[in-house]
Amino acid sequence: MEIKAREKNSIVIFDIEGEIRRSDMFDVTLHQLVKDQLDSGKKNILLNFDNVDFIDSFGVGEILASYISTHNIGGKLKLARISKKLYLVFQVTMLTNVLEIFDDEETAVKSFISEKDE
Amino acid sequence: MSEKRLFRWLSRLVEIKPGEESISLLLFLYFFLITAPFGIIKPVRNTKFLIDLGSAKLPLAFLLTAVAMGFIVAFHSKLQVRIPRDLLINNSLYFFIITCFAFGLLFLRRFLWVPMAFWVWANIFVVVTMTQFWMLINDIFNPREAKRLIGFFVSGGILGGIFGHLLTGLLSTHIPDYLLFIACGMLITSVAVLNAIFIWQRKKSPASFQKEKKTGEAEGSKIGFKVCLNTVKSSYYLKLMAGAVTIALIVSTFIDWQYQAVIENKMDVDDYLTFFGYFEAGLLVLPFFLQLFLTSSIIKRYGIRFSLLIYPFILLLGFFGIAFFPRIVFASIIKGSDKSLDFSLNQSVRELLYIPISPEVKYKAKIFIDMFLNRFAKGIGALILLIILSLPVVTKIPPLISTTADQPVPNQARFQEQPIQVQEAGALEIDVWKIRVRYVSALSFALILAWIIISIKISREYTNTVKQRLDLKWERADRVVSEKLDVNFMKLVIDTLENKNRSSVLYAMDIFDLIKQDRLTPDVKRLISQKQDEMKATSLGSLIESGETGIIQESEEFLSEDILVKEIKEIMELDVYKEVMGEYFEKVMNKEDERSEVAKMEVARAIGLMSPQSPLIEKLDELLSDRSPDVVRYAMQSVSNLQKKIYIPALVKNLQNPQIREDARDALKSFGEKILGTLSDYIGDPAENLELRNNVAWLMGELASQEAADSLLVELVQDNGKIRTSLIDALDQIRAKNPSVVFSQQTIENELLKTIKQYYRDFFKLTSSKEPEKKIVYDISRVIAPFCMSTAERDAVAGAYLFETCLK
Repeated sequence: MEIKAREKNSIVIFDIEGEIRRSDMFDVTLHQLVKDQLDSGKKNILLNFDNVDFIDSFGVGEILASYISTHNIGGKLKLARISKKLYLVFQVTMLTNVLEIFDDEETAVKSFISEKDE
Repeated sequence: MSEKRLFRWLSRLVEIKPGEESISLLLFLYFFLITAPFGIIKPVRNTKFLIDLGSAKLPLAFLLTAVAMGFIVAFHSKLQVRIPRDLLINNSLYFFIITCFAFGLLFLRRFLWVPMAFWVWANIFVVVTMTQFWMLINDIFNPREAKRLIGFFVSGGILGGIFGHLLTGLLSTHIPDYLLFIACGMLITSVAVLNAIFIWQRKKSPASFQKEKKTGEAEGSKIGFKVCLNTVKSSYYLKLMAGAVTIALIVSTFIDWQYQAVIENKMDVDDYLTFFGYFEAGLLVLPFFLQLFLTSSIIKRYGIRFSLLIYPFILLLGFFGIAFFPRIVFASIIKGSDKSLDFSLNQSVRELLYIPISPEVKYKAKIFIDMFLNRFAKGIGALILLIILSLPVVTKIPPLISTTADQPVPNQARFQEQPIQVQEAGALEIDVWKIRVRYVSALSFALILAWIIISIKISREYTNTVKQRLDLKWERADRVVSEKLDVNFMKLVIDTLENKNRSSVLYAMDIFDLIKQDRLTPDVKRLISQKQDEMKATSLGSLIESGETGIIQESEEFLSEDILVKEIKEIMELDVYKEVMGEYFEKVMNKEDERSEVAKMEVARAIGLMSPQSPLIEKLDELLSDRSPDVVRYAMQSVSNLQKKIYIPALVKNLQNPQIREDARDALKSFGEKILGTLSDYIGDPAENLELRNNVAWLMGELASQEAADSLLVELVQDNGKIRTSLIDALDQIRAKNPSVVFSQQTIENELLKTIKQYYRDFFKLTSSKEPEKKIVYDISRVIAPFCMSTAERDAVAGAYLFETCLK
């Protein structure tokens, strides 16, 4: 798995590539990277799953841990471009009622901006 | 070729899903490459055996094969649960390649033992490679996928067989001694393809590759021979089927010998290999076309009985032909008929005969018939042949008419058979082998007559068995409804349709349930996948529609029930999940607006998917007494899924609410006999609501156990008439559902008389008391006569009503 971070309109976007699975050994996990950004004062996090090939329950756990960390400091964590499969899982587990999920990055970014304006 | 192009090309031939192209092609190729060598091995086996040992030794080969197969199957069964699949199949192939090569060399040295050993080896080769191929299919695909693709794979096998046999026919005159090396080459290629399959498997579904699939084999091996034997012994119908199969296999063994004996004696040695090559190729094509064009129309038009009898009748004619005209044409006809009909019509009819049998019994019967009887019958056939071939043969037949010395002697020097001698005294000497063919035909005649009789009995029993199953169904209307209509499935489909508009989450959960139950069939998909603009679950819409996009690839991969269930379970166990959803659940429970009912329904439903130890399930307390019947309904469903007994009082309480009574009953029923004690407490408490007690009685009737019956009887004795009807109905329900339940005859009789007394008490209140006494007694006796055991009892009841104290 590879995670690259970039910033856009004061939103930190994590572009995740590859597979997020339990059996893989990571130097740094997604949650750690998100926490680092939160520690440096960033509050708006967008996770981009466009190039994620596979994600298991471990990966979902990372997403949720990141969500909790962001939520606890009053920030927002949103998801974009998740696979149909993952969306189905999120629906069955009711996570779609908690996580904000967007079809594309642009719409997700706009939602951050419109919330900020409110 | 790109994957897309490959998919487009393959989807013209077979119902293939994106992502399945490469593996399907690999498996097709693999099956081709393991059946093609057998197209070479089999003709070589037959040829070498006939040349070096002769048909007289064939029964011994049959017997040795039957015995060896028994050991090999047992050994293989043990191996397949102990070592990884890739290791097992690869090493098996290496073994067959090396031994095939070795036999190729040994045949060049012309050792006499080699053809016998090769005969046994060849049979082991085909059984092991076929078994391992189907194991591979089982590992890679679920039953739904396998059913869809099986035709494609089988055609690979058929094509491989045809190719191998045709190649043998073509090359038999050029390189007859080197054909086995070509077979080795094909097997070596198959190793490469096999390992490509394992690489694909490792890449695509590592979980299934890691999983040894031991449980499948372990379960199969746990169902031992004795259990299967007893299953067949306990059913007259199955015994008949086993008898028919045994005779068919014995007769088939006889045909094998006769066919080879005729070839040996009527054909030039140099033509054996060519003949076997081309003829056996034809034998592969014929059943295919029979199956395609004739089998189902024969069965549909003429029914089971005719379809059962056609095979033995045709063989009867074949045996007659070969007995009196032992020529290649009749040998080919009888052999061709046997193989073609066995693999087409006979197989299909046999599957139909299993229909009236329950799946569990069918599974055990098939194990007994396919694994044990197959070998046993062939072994018996071989033994009988050995006996027949060792019998003394009358070779001289006295003349019926006188002959002259001028009669020409037919020139048959070209063939191996002994020329017919015209003796000076006019006697005819008939070849030994022909007489043996006749002996075998005569015995086959007798066996086939028995087979025909058994087949007629089977067709009668089939009709009776089907009728019995239908009669049982018509005994009770409610059982007809539940057995024939599968109400729960219909409810789920209707819920899914309703939830499409209501909530994408509930909709997703319904789809999940359908997938778990393996009910998301194409028909159901079509039904529920109508486009709805306002539908939020766009991903689901595209998931379940039969689109040609790449979505299907991952959705189909994901729609493997095991993976889906496992992933969702794991996610719900995560601490972070519990933390996130705990907060959400709190919010939902405290909200009271338009959306909150749907949100609570989602929560109630989701709880049912969680582990029974999850702290989130405590919300069920509140949900089970929610104002909304829909919320309560889902909550009760979740209680049923979780099997949490602490919620039983809440379920029982809900029996009083007619809106959700049905769901409460279903949820309670799911607990089974575990809750009988609790239900007995409710039913025995006269302070409890009558409606509730009546419903509990009904529920106990549904549980239909001895314990339920005993509790109900106790209650019936103590009851003061308030729920008497429900109790009696429940007892009647138990009697019908579970005939093994024993009712106390004394109690029943006493209660019966009590009930009759009560009815007549009411009767006398309503009728005029001016009627003469005798007529009243007569009326009573006439009505109660069928119910009472003896005249004395009848008179006692009737007399009881003449006492003023009873009437008042």
